[in-house]
Amino acid sequence: MAQIELRSLTKSYKTGKVLKGVSLVAEQGEIVCVFGPSGVGKTVLLRLIAGVEELDAGAIFLEGRDVTDAPPETRGVGIAFQNFALFPHMTAFDNIGSALTAHGASASIIKAKVEKVAALLKITHVLSHLPRALSNGQKQRTALARALAADPKIVLLDDPLRNVDAKLRYEMRLELPSLLRASGATVLYVTQDYKEAMAIGDRIAVLVDGRFEQIAAPPAIYRGPASVSVARLFGDPSINLIPIKPKATKDGAVCEIGGATVSLAEIHAATPGRSLLLGLRPESLNVSDQQAPDSFPVEVMAVTPLNEKTVLLLRTHDGQEIFASEAGVENETRQPGPAFARFDATRALVFDEASGARIEGRA
Amino acid sequence: MSTTNEAALSLAGVDKIYALNSRKPVHAVQALDLDVRKGEIVALLGSSGCGKTSTLRMIAGFESVTRGSITLAGRRIETLAPARRGVAMAFEGYSLYPPLTVRDNIAFALKSARINATEVDKAVKEMAALVEIESILDRYPTSISGGQQQRASLARALVRPADLYLLDEPMGQLEPRLRALLRGRLKRLLNERGMTSIFVTHDQTEANALADRVAVMEGGVLQQMANQTELKERPANLYVATFIGEPPMNVFDAKVEIGERVRFIVKDGPALDFSATAFSQAARVAIARRARAVIGVRPHDIRLGAGDNAAKVVSNQWLGDQSHLALDVAGKLMVAVAFDQVNASRGEIMRYEVSSTKLHVFDADSGEAVSHGAEAA
Amino acid sequence: MEHTSPFERIIRGVLIAAVLLFFLFPILWIFLMSFQTNEQVLRIPPSLFFSPTTINYTSLVTGKLQTAAGSLDLAFMRNLGNSVLLSSVSVALALVLGVPAAYAFARFKFPLSEDIAFTLLSFRFAPPLLVLLPLSLYFQAIGLDDTYIGLIWVYQLIALPLILWIVRGYFEDISPDIEYAYRIAGHSWLQTFTRIAIPLARPGIAAAGLLAFIFCWNNFVFALILASADKQPVTVGALAFVTASGIQYGQIAAAIVLSVTPTLALALFAQRYLVEGLSLGAVKG
Repeated sequence: MAQIELRSLTKSYKTGKVLKGVSLVAEQGEIVCVFGPSGVGKTVLLRLIAGVEELDAGAIFLEGRDVTDAPPETRGVGIAFQNFALFPHMTAFDNIGSALTAHGASASIIKAKVEKVAALLKITHVLSHLPRALSNGQKQRTALARALAADPKIVLLDDPLRNVDAKLRYEMRLELPSLLRASGATVLYVTQDYKEAMAIGDRIAVLVDGRFEQIAAPPAIYRGPASVSVARLFGDPSINLIPIKPKATKDGAVCEIGGATVSLAEIHAATPGRSLLLGLRPESLNVSDQQAPDSFPVEVMAVTPLNEKTVLLLRTHDGQEIFASEAGVENETRQPGPAFARFDATRALVFDEASGARIEGRA
Repeated sequence: MSTTNEAALSLAGVDKIYALNSRKPVHAVQALDLDVRKGEIVALLGSSGCGKTSTLRMIAGFESVTRGSITLAGRRIETLAPARRGVAMAFEGYSLYPPLTVRDNIAFALKSARINATEVDKAVKEMAALVEIESILDRYPTSISGGQQQRASLARALVRPADLYLLDEPMGQLEPRLRALLRGRLKRLLNERGMTSIFVTHDQTEANALADRVAVMEGGVLQQMANQTELKERPANLYVATFIGEPPMNVFDAKVEIGERVRFIVKDGPALDFSATAFSQAARVAIARRARAVIGVRPHDIRLGAGDNAAKVVSNQWLGDQSHLALDVAGKLMVAVAFDQVNASRGEIMRYEVSSTKLHVFDADSGEAVSHGAEAA
Repeated sequence: MEHTSPFERIIRGVLIAAVLLFFLFPILWIFLMSFQTNEQVLRIPPSLFFSPTTINYTSLVTGKLQTAAGSLDLAFMRNLGNSVLLSSVSVALALVLGVPAAYAFARFKFPLSEDIAFTLLSFRFAPPLLVLLPLSLYFQAIGLDDTYIGLIWVYQLIALPLILWIVRGYFEDISPDIEYAYRIAGHSWLQTFTRIAIPLARPGIAAAGLLAFIFCWNNFVFALILASADKQPVTVGALAFVTASGIQYGQIAAAIVLSVTPTLALALFAQRYLVEGLSLGAVKG
């Protein structure tokens, strides 16, 4: 049974329409990451589901029950906010326990449940502290513990790692999936970090311009983004988009990049003459000193090591700036100067320039 | 690159002590020696309060030097007024002159140097194009976004000739693609024109991408100054080892046994067992002096699916171009990174191998490096 | 800036002493007067040295004043009781009405909400005398003239806007997420209000209540017009010392000391709340 079902939710503010018909079905035990750039309405969506904001139109079903007009306290969801929203006048214990007090649980049950979830999140030693005595990481774990304490069937997490430092965020990113899985809850997880979305989500729902542009598993989204706007949101550096006008040949199709003629995969043959965008992920570009078939000439403008990759800023001969990335940082031989780039045509993505939609399959 | 071995900027024994009324003095920068070669890009990297900003401000002249000397292009500058030091600075905050348009802000220094108008115009346009603010040149600072102000401030600093360019968190507020683009363009520009520059950042990604060498600071002390590869392969101490790298190095306390074999025994964890010949003589001697040590291995240096050790997979996360695996080792998470998608599900037992050439050993008490790979530090 | 020479420190000390003397001298003088007889008060030149007497206090407490012209009855203790009653009941009522109203203004934007809130505040701007004449006529007509209830009602003009505006600022400073979190955890609106919002706004509520109490206590003109002798607070009661046979300075001073003491004690006791409550809540709100 679907645990969360959203049917064409819309929500407007004075400043304009934020959600323009958002629909989603999440199954029991699934973690769905709601991902999109900041200010796109992700938080609004969670608040609609939690019931602290009213929607303009649409319907919300939780655990099969229509809660569209139900007050928040009857919806039975657990929630963690980006700013933690801990109760400053209560200890960490009481904060976590607040999820249980509403339903008249006995003191011993509350104690047992709080201690169990606190142990899971490794905050047992700070349960007697007030929030102001907690470090940022402990606050964040307390907020998570509060969301999970009552064993809710549905958990809403609003960018919970946003306000902790990079190291903690990384650690939590590794731990969270198993933690959430252990709770058995269906989770909606809001984030604006694509790596977090890919690491944590079973599926990612990409919110663009008030709608879910694509809802799919991380590999499917990364390799087969539905549109240019989805493609752009994934990857570091993000995808290169090169305008092309393919020409049909007897073997398939070619296009021109920076003065060189480059073969395209057969699947793009059906679209000669149409204005397309060729989407090349930086890691799928191969840069070499040697000219090879289907390579195009570039100038390596700068070599910038990035984490465990080396990112090259390239300029094509018609002045476009694109990125290529290579695994590892030991590549000290790479220097600015002329070079040739090529890509695997079967892995290249092609989008319609006008609509932004990806063109796939053999036509 | 036009880097030469001649030092353009040299800090010798620089101390900064803040002695505020009725508080105990704060030693913000301690005995700092730093040489920047002509045409070199150096990053001052550290967490907040590490002394990097104080250092930058002392070089710029906004902060007095408690002890020590600063030499720039052969001149002692530590007592000169900021305007007479020959440095250009881009500020992190909002430092544009509000009554001037962005164009006039950028041109300000050139105009006061009485450079002719067409040349000024050309230089401003070129710099504006580099930082992507051509469309807002005629607007006023209050009407543009924080990121645009930051880029305008960067352009204003870079457009004028100076012996040294100081950049304070130059790209804090930009969206990722633009940031990657500006990193590349900025590095190209600085290298091409041989502009000696120092920039301050708390973001190691930024430091690694832009700088020729990175100076890692912590607690007012320079921990290590080296290029990216050396920082990763030969970190001077445990602080640098666990600070640099995304994800950072995995470290474990281990008991050392050395004889025919070199063994590192992690409590409740694996025993790494190497033949003694896998280490150089000097490394063996250095390791043998210790009964305990901290051993470390970078996530990228762990070989998965091979070797004598095995651990449970806690998570396996594919990020598009790398996979991050967390293994439960000695009650901690050990992170391993591979560049392709790894087939392993949660709860599975996975074998892994750490080669002696990838092993880092640190002193258990001081955290100083003992050996890197099989070589003594 | 960080370094001060001894000379600077001396100058600073002298200046601070001068300012303190300027503000505290009247209080000190009143305090001294309250231990003097009328003759001692009025002698020329005045002197700091005298033999203290407690006659002023005893006559206030016993309610019998002996003057050259004879014995006079005083209602001072009754006045004091009236002040306590009027101020505390007024503030209590204002809190009961004002705190939920402040919450409503802080959390819910409804049509005209800003206008209503501002109208309530504007009661503080109008000179009290402007409303007093019509008010006293109305009160006579509906029988509220010279009643405690009538006075407490009018005192809401003083207390309610203060409480409303200070506490509102405080509620606005509480992140709505904190309340949302509590509600989503299954608690009703009312529980959220009483267990989250009120405890978190407590410093602001205390400050506002205290300030309202002091303003009520110090009010003079409402009670002067709307109440007869047996309902009057100390501020009005002090007029009784202006007698046919002369002004009883000693008693006036003693009465002032006695009437100021409770509010002063309260203010000192809650000084921390006051500063915090006023600077945070009111300014930001």
